Amino acid sequence: MPDPNPQSPTDEYLLLIRGTHWNQGFSAEELQRVMTDFYAWADGLVQKGVHRGAQPLMEEGKLITGAKGASVTDGAFAESKEAVAGYFLLAVPSLDEAVRLAQACPILAYGAQIEVRPVADLCRPMAEVKAVGNS
Amino acid sequence: MPLAHPEAKSDTVRPARIAEDLFRREGARLVAMLAGQFGVHRLQLAEDAVQEALVRALQTWPYRGVPENPAAWLTQTAKNIALDYLRREQRWQEKEGGIAQEHDRWLAVPAPAESHDGTFADDTLRMMFVCFHPQLSIEAQTALALRTLCGLSPAEIAAAFLTSEAAISKRLVRARQRIRELALPFALPKPAELPARLDGVLGTLYLLFNEGYKASSGDRLVREELCHEAIRLALLLTAHPGTAVPETHALLALMLLNAARLPARTDDAGNILRLHEQNRAAWNQAMIARGIQALGLAAAGDTLSPYHLEAAIAACHSTAPRDTATDWPRILSLYDRLFALTASPVAALNRAVAIARVHGPQSGLDALAEIATRSPLESYHLFHTVRGTLTAELGHFPEATVHFRKAEALAALPSEREFISRRIRECEVGQSGS
Repeated sequence: MPDPNPQSPTDEYLLLIRGTHWNQGFSAEELQRVMTDFYAWADGLVQKGVHRGAQPLMEEGKLITGAKGASVTDGAFAESKEAVAGYFLLAVPSLDEAVRLAQACPILAYGAQIEVRPVADLCRPMAEVKAVGNS
Repeated sequence: MPLAHPEAKSDTVRPARIAEDLFRREGARLVAMLAGQFGVHRLQLAEDAVQEALVRALQTWPYRGVPENPAAWLTQTAKNIALDYLRREQRWQEKEGGIAQEHDRWLAVPAPAESHDGTFADDTLRMMFVCFHPQLSIEAQTALALRTLCGLSPAEIAAAFLTSEAAISKRLVRARQRIRELALPFALPKPAELPARLDGVLGTLYLLFNEGYKASSGDRLVREELCHEAIRLALLLTAHPGTAVPETHALLALMLLNAARLPARTDDAGNILRLHEQNRAAWNQAMIARGIQALGLAAAGDTLSPYHLEAAIAACHSTAPRDTATDWPRILSLYDRLFALTASPVAALNRAVAIARVHGPQSGLDALAEIATRSPLESYHLFHTVRGTLTAELGHFPEATVHFRKAEALAALPSEREFISRRIRECEVGQSGS
């Protein structure tokens, strides 16, 4: 049985928008309709006072691995259907609330996915070190 | 480009309002502008760059906010994308030892404001003369116009023409290739050529409008979209001094006056309604007023084109407060002149209907019998529908049914067949009642 997670959540949640090719073949009007709906959703987060930041991500990027970053490769992010296209950072009281807000995102209807991740106080390795120190 | 960051906004500042058809309107403008800049033989590049710019707006604005000037953002982004593409292509060609001169020329082309004397609208107008070039087939012209000038997707165009998306895409690829082969200039025709070329442009716009106006098939909304796009392009022509001739105003008037009745042409179940069955309160009065205004502008000078006459006929219908108040004698005299001008069998058919309204059904049937160029009408379902209608009005129901059955066999669309079978049922009721 795995050890219980020593991490603690904070009051922030990261919404990772996954999927970068769901808008192919849209006409100008369709693109604008989706953009307007998507924008209205994001603006709603601002109006509710829960919006803490958001950025889209480039499809291209590098993947660094190995000691001292010996290996730098082109990340195959763009090829993946689940590639992260951007993120929204929200300040809400619970995971349920973050999920509820994510469910209202209009681009889900077009095949985009949203991953909701609570922002933790510490990354897991650090939290484990701290937990051992406290015991 | 400054962006209105959502998180940076005070609660009172609302996001920049985006005009309803911004993407479509700007998209079409930008394609025309880029084609003007890079050459119309690079039409595909222009279209791809604009599409990509719109996608980037979708991928950026919801995260960062709508830019203060969305149109300028789209313009800059589309230009950068096109230039990036050309630079990549140039580098590749250099590696291959190819000649990069042509690319240098494109990359060196100054901004459109300096390269053309005119404005965005002029670019769109030039693009219109490319898309509606007489050396392209009518099918190619209409598909290209809807894609390039109106920003419709191949799927939307396919829905309007009852064909497959693949067929439309193929048609577009061939049309762009043909433009390259013919090396069509991205320019307004020379003054000497302009009247003839404008005739062709108006003719195709008229076809485009009628394609949308035809008794509705599956996708009614897409078809109405064709009408509205044809109107939008005609409006562009009326805004430019070189093309704002009386015929252009007349075509615009005829489109507006007919399109104003679109909302009332079918009932909730999609059944076709005849003029006297339509709810006149649903007619678009603002559009009718604009149509009448355009008809006034068309009357300048002494030109009398078929568009003038058709617009005047549409005006008679659109301005009659009740069906019984329709000025049929005036409509008949307009059809007389239209037939004299065009000798078109369809005009003759409509003239016969007007004769029937003025002088009675038998006179209408006599007029139908006299149409000399009748052979093309024999395969036209409306010809038999009119014969059936007039015959039924005389109370000759069995004979009327024969005509309606012929019409039914020729009608292509389910809504038309349904309309005709309702008439047949009426004949059966009439017969048993007599």
